[in-house]
Amino acid sequence: MPSTSRNTIRAQIRNKGESLTPADREALLKPYLPDPADLATSRSARSSRRSKSKQPRKTPIRTFIKSQVHRLAYALTHIIFGIVVRLIQAYHAVVDRILAIVYHHHRTPELIRKDVRSLKRLPQHLSVILTLRTEDDALAVLMDEVAELTAWCTCAGIAQLSVYEKSGVLKSCIPALHQIISTKLASYHGVSQQPSLQLYAPHHAVHGNGRETIVDLTKTLAEMSQNGKLSPEDITPELVDAEITEITAHPLRNGGSSSSRPTNETGAAGDDLLKPEPDLLLVFGPFLKLDGYPPWQLRLTEMYCTGDRSHGATGMGTRLSIRGL
Amino acid sequence: MTDSIHLSRLRKWFLASPPIEFAITNLKELLIGALRQGPIPQHVAFVMDGNRRFARSHGIETVEGHNLGFEALARILEVCYKSGVKVVTIYAFSIENFKRSKFEVDALMDMAKVKLSQMAQHGDLLDRYGAKVRVLGRLDLLKPDVLAAVNKAVDLTSRNGDRVLNICFPYTSRDEITSAIRETVEDYSTPLKSTNGAGRTPFSESHITHNIRAQNLGTKHHDTNSDSDSISAESSTNEDDPILRNDYPHRVYDSGSSFSSSTTLHLGQQDGHPQKGATQGNSPEPAFISPETITRQTLSDHMLTKGTPPLDMLIRTSAVERLSDFMLWQCHENTEIVFLDVLWPEFDLWHFLPVMLGWQRRISKSRQNPEAEGNFAGDSPESSEEDLDARVLRQGKVKGI
Repeated sequence: MPSTSRNTIRAQIRNKGESLTPADREALLKPYLPDPADLATSRSARSSRRSKSKQPRKTPIRTFIKSQVHRLAYALTHIIFGIVVRLIQAYHAVVDRILAIVYHHHRTPELIRKDVRSLKRLPQHLSVILTLRTEDDALAVLMDEVAELTAWCTCAGIAQLSVYEKSGVLKSCIPALHQIISTKLASYHGVSQQPSLQLYAPHHAVHGNGRETIVDLTKTLAEMSQNGKLSPEDITPELVDAEITEITAHPLRNGGSSSSRPTNETGAAGDDLLKPEPDLLLVFGPFLKLDGYPPWQLRLTEMYCTGDRSHGATGMGTRLSIRGL
Repeated sequence: MTDSIHLSRLRKWFLASPPIEFAITNLKELLIGALRQGPIPQHVAFVMDGNRRFARSHGIETVEGHNLGFEALARILEVCYKSGVKVVTIYAFSIENFKRSKFEVDALMDMAKVKLSQMAQHGDLLDRYGAKVRVLGRLDLLKPDVLAAVNKAVDLTSRNGDRVLNICFPYTSRDEITSAIRETVEDYSTPLKSTNGAGRTPFSESHITHNIRAQNLGTKHHDTNSDSDSISAESSTNEDDPILRNDYPHRVYDSGSSFSSSTTLHLGQQDGHPQKGATQGNSPEPAFISPETITRQTLSDHMLTKGTPPLDMLIRTSAVERLSDFMLWQCHENTEIVFLDVLWPEFDLWHFLPVMLGWQRRISKSRQNPEAEGNFAGDSPESSEEDLDARVLRQGKVKGI
């Protein structure tokens, strides 16, 4: 952008847009607008918008060369970008491995507590999105990850851990999961001083995703409204919030329903006050994708993406304490 | 300190010199053109965070920071639309922001008014080049003069082409979801005028009647054909077809009424059904569409972003890693959420480019299982088809690399 015109615009902004007439502004804008002819053809050939062969016929060679240059640039940028990404990934993998070795907790709560102590604030409610892998022992791996995370949370003093898994296999094996977690906790804390553990799967939709809670609520509200028990004006964010909190945070009332996908489990002893909204959401994946996580609860949740999925739970604590917060 | 000021001045002078500026402009053009060669997200959302912090760290007034933020927005919109993004959604003002200082709120409102009314002054220009402007949020919370500017800008740009700019003006996502629920409930608690108890499973019952009729009469192929057509069309509402899904309630109602008329006209032997309908009509409680027919799509169609392609990417600047009540419902399944450690006024193509490249790389990589990446609920059918085609084509190219 020519600096003169930028300065003009800024001067004009300061005067609340009164120093320039509309015509002046159009003149300023002219050089940035696409050619009308170009636009017309792109509109006529909108169905094949991005194919470069449908460019104006006036300068076929120039457009051909231009499109080839663009293709070349696309290829080049992606090659360079790919190399850079690989390098960064390799670097992070090495650093993570080193940190995992240096800070390995050897299943001792004291070490984990020491790692955590330096943190300024600790989430009350941690949530993780786990994915089921494709291998044969995927379920066993997943349950082990959950157990490991739970144990780590009990050591770090995180009162509540929610696990979200898209396919919902965990809901079908709650007793087995409870068994595995108890064993894991025993190996961390010793059999005598195990912290208390509540494990539950909140009432939830059969399949689909986290939006289903809101859909179910809408169904109930619609039915009530049809029966004249409620007028649509009564539906406020507070009501919706209260209802959704009710359904996700009260284990005993809705507990034991087998048709739930996101499995919540509460580690650690102490207060039964459950926070419906997680403070921190960890995503184990190459990029941050919510994968159908219940939307309502995520309003103020901080999200953190671990970058890759290979490490699983073991390195999690380490990384959490080093960079996660 | 003085050194750095001199250096930055020198750099500015250098960057503003004609040959360098020419080179940079051309490089940008080239990169945008290159981006167009790959898959492009259809819907991108931005949280424009960091204007105030930028102003504070550079020792300028907050309002000035917001103005610079607007410049950054113009820059990035240009990049987006040039590279083929169809819908851009920006978080301009949260309902929570009304709690900020009155001075700042007023300044922001003023800015919005000035920008929107300027837009309105260039009606024909926007017709040719611009995007449709839509303002999402609680417009009832705005002052009348700002609201007038909003309405004028929306009206003037409503005839524009296929690009859309969604401005979330006093907006929070929870408010949006609640409104969607409320509207859905309102829709579903409007009683149907004439029912025959077929509201719950209209397809099968009408189908059965027609089968019986076909058996009884033996002829009338024409009629049954047309009806089975409509039945198949209705059953396809169970698939992810937003347009059909959209007027689902009406369809249910239509099929119900046609059924009742056909029973009264042709099926004298089936006395039970009209009587049942009559008793229901007479009883004090009116009949409704079953709430069980509410789906995720029903709610999505009541969201403020209805009719736009699903959100592909959400970018938040200034390294705050939370959504802050923005697009909770929308950025939910396949949306890539990106948090960038850059303040919004500094945001430019150079920050946007790696994000886009990463997205393109991912989409190209997931070409082996195309059903896993795109084409989920809410995708408008034609655009998704076109897109898949384009993607397949481009994927070939990427594979070549």
